[in-house]
Amino acid sequence: MTIARTTRLTALLAAALGAAAPLHAQEPRLEGRLPETARVQVDSVVTVARQAGLPTEPLVDRALEGASKGATGARIVTAVERLAQELRTARDALGTHSTDEEIVAGASALRAGATPADLARLRRARTGRTLTVASAVLADLVSVGVPVDTAVAAVIALAGGAADADYVAFRRNVEQDVALGASPVAALGVRLDAAADRGELGQSAGPASKPPRKP
Amino acid sequence: MSEDREWFPRLVEALREPVRIDPALDRRIMRRVAGEAVPRLRWHEAVRDWLTRGRPVRLTPLGGMALAAAALSGVVAGRFWISPPAERPAVLAMPASVSGAPAAVQFVAVAPGATSVTLVGDFNDWNVAATPMHAASEDGIWSVSLPLPPGRYRYAFLVDGTRWMADPAAPAAADSDFGSTNSVVTVGEP
Repeated sequence: MTIARTTRLTALLAAALGAAAPLHAQEPRLEGRLPETARVQVDSVVTVARQAGLPTEPLVDRALEGASKGATGARIVTAVERLAQELRTARDALGTHSTDEEIVAGASALRAGATPADLARLRRARTGRTLTVASAVLADLVSVGVPVDTAVAAVIALAGGAADADYVAFRRNVEQDVALGASPVAALGVRLDAAADRGELGQSAGPASKPPRKP
Repeated sequence: MSEDREWFPRLVEALREPVRIDPALDRRIMRRVAGEAVPRLRWHEAVRDWLTRGRPVRLTPLGGMALAAAALSGVVAGRFWISPPAERPAVLAMPASVSGAPAAVQFVAVAPGATSVTLVGDFNDWNVAATPMHAASEDGIWSVSLPLPPGRYRYAFLVDGTRWMADPAAPAAADSDFGSTNSVVTVGEP
């Protein structure tokens, strides 16, 4: 065997090991926290997600949450698989250049009832700015009782002119109004009018930014 | 009855007459006062007398407002100097952090009668022992502050190691896959 041939074989072997390594990579945070069968399955989902360029932290977090709450292994695996699919859908809707935080927040919005088309509209309406807080606020508004369609319209209406802090303040104000007894839709309408008065509604978002009608 | 009618006008007339004082009265009084011996005070009695004697103070409205403003600024300054910002109770908020730098977020739980409360969530690997909360009062208020970089975090409170509790002051997470509801905190970019 010549030196050149030995070198080529070594390089091939190293390449093969390097390619195979991620398939067997184990998430250290899962060690000792899950039943072994569930750990292997979750590890597999995490590995596939990593290879697809998806954020994997939320998957591990979801498995750890299930473990802390005493869920069965099967239930944990189901939850992790579902979240992986939502992350994939969110990334496809928001675009491949989206940050991990945007994808995670987008997945939350999907779980709250938004559609992939809604996320795509939000991306177009908020060009060049992060969608993390906007998507998160969308999910939060739904959680306080705002219908999904109305929440989507409000978040998109704010997309052109609102900073992240404006989104956070908007969500907080709506929550306070609801806590004081206002209906979620009425509270959202009032706060949206106030945002319009402050010039937080963008001028360039087009018809998608039209505020939702109050009841 | 007729007598009443006669003496009443005379009485009124007499009361309307100006009181006439002897012009020499002032001089007689002042002569008497000057003749009185004034007791001499010792120095410390004089100081005490000066300090404790009331005096009328005249103040213009502008001067009064200036005095009030100075007093108010003194109170405010004292409030900050006596209690440094780090020790003052922070409000539950969703702060914006600067370009990826962690922002301190305070979590508050209300759990009357609890013996322990821990904060558990995405930020501590859902480790039930990693972030114990501190009793902020005897009314069952528990709190802890954590530095969090921008992002969206799901969390819950674990009361007495057995009871999961969402944060009523935060939005509920839509994705609660394991029964109990979680809460969400979002830390945004500026």
